[in-house]
Amino acid sequence: MRIKTISRSVDEFTRERSQDLQRVFHNFDPSLRPMEKAVEYQRALTAAKLEKIFARPFVGAMDGHRDGISCMAKNPNYLKGIFSASMDGDIRLWDIATRRTVCQFPGHQGAVRGLTASTDGNVLVSCGTDSTVRLWNVPQPSLEDSDFSSEKTVEPSAVYVWKNALLAVDHQFEGELFATGSAQLDIWNHNRSQPVQSFQWKNDTIISVRFNPGEPDILAASASDRSIIIYDLRMSAPARSILMMTKTNSIAWNPMEPMNFTAANEDGNCYSFDGRKDDEAKCVHKDHVSAVMDIDFSPTGREFVTGSYDRSVRIFPYNGGHSREIYHTKRMQRVFCVKYSCDATYVISGSDDTNLRLWKAKASEQLGVILPREEKKHEYNEAVKNRYKHLPEIKRIVRHRHLPKPIYKAIGESRVMNDSKRRKMERTKSHSAPGTVVIQPHRRRRIIKQVE
Amino acid sequence: MGGGLKRKSSSSSGKTLAKSKKKKGPHLPNSILKVIASQKQRPPLNSDDEIGSDDEHGGDLYEYEEEGVPEEESRKNNRYDRHDNYDYELPEDFEDENVESEDDVDGGNSENDEDDDRHIRMLQSLTGMPSAAFEGESKKSKPVLFTEAYPEGEFNPTRDVLEGKNVLTEEDFLAPLEGKPGYQKTRKQIALMRKDTKHHVVHAPLPKPQRDRLERKAVTGLVDGEFSKWVHLVKKNREAPTLYFNQDVDLGYSTVGAIASEFQPRTQFEKRMASVLNDSDVSEAHRDDGARLLKLNEVSMEDHIKDRRNHIAKMRALLFRHERKCKQIKKIKSKTYHRLKNKDLKNSSLGALMDPEMAKEEAMRQEVRRVEERLTLRHKNTRKSVKRVLRLGLNLKYDGPKAAIAEQLQIHANLSRKMNSMRDGSSSDEEELSDGSDEEDTPSRLIAKAKEKTLKALEDDEVPNATGLMSLPFMARAMKRKNEEANQEAKRAVEEYEEWENSGGENSKKTVNVSGRREFGATAKVEAPKESKKDSDNFYDNSDSDNGIEEEAVRDNASPARTITETEKSDDVDGNPASKTTFDVAMFASGSWKKMTGCKNTESKKASKKTHVPISQAQDKKGSRDDESESEAEEMVDGVLTCAASKETFEIPCQAELINRAFAGDDVLDEFEKDKEDVLNQEVPKPEKPVLVPGWGDWSSVQRKRGISKRMVMEHEAEEKERREKLKTRKDARLKHVIISEKVDKKAEKLHTTTLPFPHTSKEVFEHSMRMPIGPEFNPSTIVAELNRPEIVKKTGVIIKPVRFEEVNPNDEVDDEHPRNHQKQRPKKKTSRRQSKVNSK
Repeated sequence: MRIKTISRSVDEFTRERSQDLQRVFHNFDPSLRPMEKAVEYQRALTAAKLEKIFARPFVGAMDGHRDGISCMAKNPNYLKGIFSASMDGDIRLWDIATRRTVCQFPGHQGAVRGLTASTDGNVLVSCGTDSTVRLWNVPQPSLEDSDFSSEKTVEPSAVYVWKNALLAVDHQFEGELFATGSAQLDIWNHNRSQPVQSFQWKNDTIISVRFNPGEPDILAASASDRSIIIYDLRMSAPARSILMMTKTNSIAWNPMEPMNFTAANEDGNCYSFDGRKDDEAKCVHKDHVSAVMDIDFSPTGREFVTGSYDRSVRIFPYNGGHSREIYHTKRMQRVFCVKYSCDATYVISGSDDTNLRLWKAKASEQLGVILPREEKKHEYNEAVKNRYKHLPEIKRIVRHRHLPKPIYKAIGESRVMNDSKRRKMERTKSHSAPGTVVIQPHRRRRIIKQVE
Repeated sequence: MGGGLKRKSSSSSGKTLAKSKKKKGPHLPNSILKVIASQKQRPPLNSDDEIGSDDEHGGDLYEYEEEGVPEEESRKNNRYDRHDNYDYELPEDFEDENVESEDDVDGGNSENDEDDDRHIRMLQSLTGMPSAAFEGESKKSKPVLFTEAYPEGEFNPTRDVLEGKNVLTEEDFLAPLEGKPGYQKTRKQIALMRKDTKHHVVHAPLPKPQRDRLERKAVTGLVDGEFSKWVHLVKKNREAPTLYFNQDVDLGYSTVGAIASEFQPRTQFEKRMASVLNDSDVSEAHRDDGARLLKLNEVSMEDHIKDRRNHIAKMRALLFRHERKCKQIKKIKSKTYHRLKNKDLKNSSLGALMDPEMAKEEAMRQEVRRVEERLTLRHKNTRKSVKRVLRLGLNLKYDGPKAAIAEQLQIHANLSRKMNSMRDGSSSDEEELSDGSDEEDTPSRLIAKAKEKTLKALEDDEVPNATGLMSLPFMARAMKRKNEEANQEAKRAVEEYEEWENSGGENSKKTVNVSGRREFGATAKVEAPKESKKDSDNFYDNSDSDNGIEEEAVRDNASPARTITETEKSDDVDGNPASKTTFDVAMFASGSWKKMTGCKNTESKKASKKTHVPISQAQDKKGSRDDESESEAEEMVDGVLTCAASKETFEIPCQAELINRAFAGDDVLDEFEKDKEDVLNQEVPKPEKPVLVPGWGDWSSVQRKRGISKRMVMEHEAEEKERREKLKTRKDARLKHVIISEKVDKKAEKLHTTTLPFPHTSKEVFEHSMRMPIGPEFNPSTIVAELNRPEIVKKTGVIIKPVRFEEVNPNDEVDDEHPRNHQKQRPKKKTSRRQSKVNSK
């Protein structure tokens, strides 16, 4: 007589501590689990829905300025600090955690148009339409910052007066140079009252400047003649210039890929360029319906955030044509500046309604301490969702966004216009001799020429 | 020469041009004018002639300024026109006419002295002035031979040199050096230099925009080069399955040493310690041999006295404080307070030491505890938990249980050894001091008490405490067993006590000598464990046997059932020949004979096998034929043939007829059509025919007469039409012998995409990537984390720095130990893993 019994060794099933997890044995034979795909699909669906449920990106607003925010700068060395400047010449340092002003930097007579901090976070550089460059010593954050009643004010450590109104400033990464944009591009040293170097090409105003974080000597600037110019500080001449159909409002270098940068354009699109090839953009990021005012890369280099004149903030993948996220609130007006926080977790936007807004970079991310098991669960949900993202239902849920009415309408209109343009182009092509009409891809269409 | 002529002609043309212009110029004295006039048509020789050369015709005296004529052409510079002098020999008569002119004398006869002499003489005769006056002139005019403004020199080279004739070369300079030590070297260097300068011609600088453009081009190239060095690193990062940004978290100190090195003394004590530790004298002494340490340790007499005094003062102060406290306590009148205080004192070991009675009591108590221990063996690994630990061997693995067990054993040893130790240790003083009676008294009392206790325990044991877990039957049984064991032991103990009591002091002493533990151990060993084992065995055995019986019963029950089902099955097989035949026909329709036969054979085989049991049942001919065919398993046709052969009169029909006959009864096509219609009806359902339902639309005779409403009929027709359309568009509409199902499984549909997603280029690859599940239920826990790892691992609150340049070898494979590799090349990885498993096996 043979009797089948279940035999288990006590060793394997005994927990050493009462908190230990019970050991569970699985037979991973796929023939025993025929429904695995359906199961995972269902989980993905649930994860997608949960993501929607937990999507609460808005963390808080920082109120205090008396005019529209014109520019911001993050402290590369201190996560909690962010500088903002407004059109009335007010500069403030905010504590993001408490969302209060830590101190103010009074001094500018007109609008502050450029703000940047040195890499060690000790020096703040501001410039504005009053033709001055001001350097400030940033107060060191201390543990006794908790008394918010007294807002400190700081006197500028240096004031350099210049010939023209200054529209942009950016600090070199781990160096002591900074560049300002006015009628020409000037390179300054902290300790000199005159620029150490100046670049002028084609008498046009520089409206934005950005240093390359990977290659500290290379910087890109955009001018009001619709051109983007790349300079190398070690050379006396500019390296490259691209002339586009519309003005570029801001430029951001990819911090992980020093040859690539993305330009925020007046036509509502962002164009990613390879610094070595200027005949076409690598990628066109479309979604905004109005001019893109500012752009900032995530420190991971995989995403960037844009603020637009259409009162919305969007987050794009670095190689994707459309945004993965749009943030908007009823009270947020034209967004003039955006920043991605140094730990790639938050996004800060400054808008015309005098407020800074703090958003989560991932709308449904769980904040606070996460237990390992929770983290595992989140990872699994994300992986499953990512795997089944092509399936219609999941795609629909993940992509669904509520849009403000004006944006929604504008998107519809632009779609109609683009369609009709495309149709017309196709018809023209089909009715003309082959080869005479060439439809340019969008990546190339908006570039007028490459200036040598 | 020719050049000079040309120049002249050009100059003349210039003059004609100039002539047309308004005349202007300085007012010249008459004598000069004369001289100038005399010079007409003569070529200018030097800069002094410049003015004169301008006017060919004597009338245009005011013209000296010429526009548009370069200086060289205007012969301001002598060097260009030397050869004109040789060439342009003026006719003698012409010369004679203009004797007054000095200049022409200069120019005309520069060559031979004879002419000069003649000329001077002539001048003398003409002017009447002494020849000396002209001598100077002639002397002055002598250098005109050179026709140079300045004497030849290094700053004013000769015409030959300038025109490339008779030029001094480096060789000329080198010639005198020949034979000198450094000659060869210098020559070579000079030759090299000449070679270099030959091809390099410096052009005039380009216009500025062009220059800038070139510069920008150069800069572009450099910047591109700068960017290009990043390509490999960027590519590696992009292809990496996971990028980690949480690595460089500074957690502060990593080691104890690091923390200790940062230590700063803050309190006074710490500072004093530090001062001693860091004292160079001490450390030096320590390093040497330690002999000096003692010296350093020496305290001076004064210090010693001071210390001593301090100590005494401190002790006094303490005493004083204690006294005051005692007084204070004495003053307290509360009785409860004192009672509690005394109790505390009693309980403390201090009290026991102080009070002999108390000590005695304490000893008694301990003795009782000891006896209890001996009875219950509570601390000798008899507890369930300890047993479990021992069984699992956890005490060997871990320190915690090990220590606990050791402690228990220690307690046990203490308790069971107490007797000796009491004798030996604590009561030794009494032994020495007092006589035996006192001693005797205590053990006897103790024994009595122990006896009493054991009896009480025995009584207590009778009472079953059946609550909770203990109420369970097997627990109760086990408890009972244990109790019995304990009871026996207790009884034995009581007997022993009695013995001791009877035997008296000496005996008791004797018994005391024998260690209690050994005794009990021996007795305990006698039966109890055996019994328990037996008991437990029996217990399990019983259950086992019960189960066995049951199982057997089940089997017994099952076997008839099984047989029954088997028979039923066989019946079914036999009783359903029709279904079988249809199956066969279907096989035939597919067109292969052999297959069909094979199938049929196997089928029939099965049938026959199962029909073994009901063989006694009545069988028709068909059944027997089946059996026959089963016996010749290979070919069915042959079997038929043999059958035919048995009937001798029958002729062998042709193949087609045979087939016809074989399938005479089955109308395959018809059946298939019916099937197809069923399928079609199922997939494209027929619309319902409108019918008159009683009670609906037949209220009045008019309605009834009208029949079914037109609308309904129309609708029905439309539906029919739609159905027809649908049927027409089906894939199998034109294929008579085929059914292609177009039913869509809606539940499965949601698991498929309509188009191939973007990054994938082929359907197979995409499906492959989706095939393996990634969940923890479907994968071992060792790889689940790797499968689910996100592309970016970052930590909130950690600042991410921009990329830093590092050399990356583009030919390197992406490092394999990287955990996320599984994700992207999952299918490949899986197979490889499996292969490796197979290999390892």
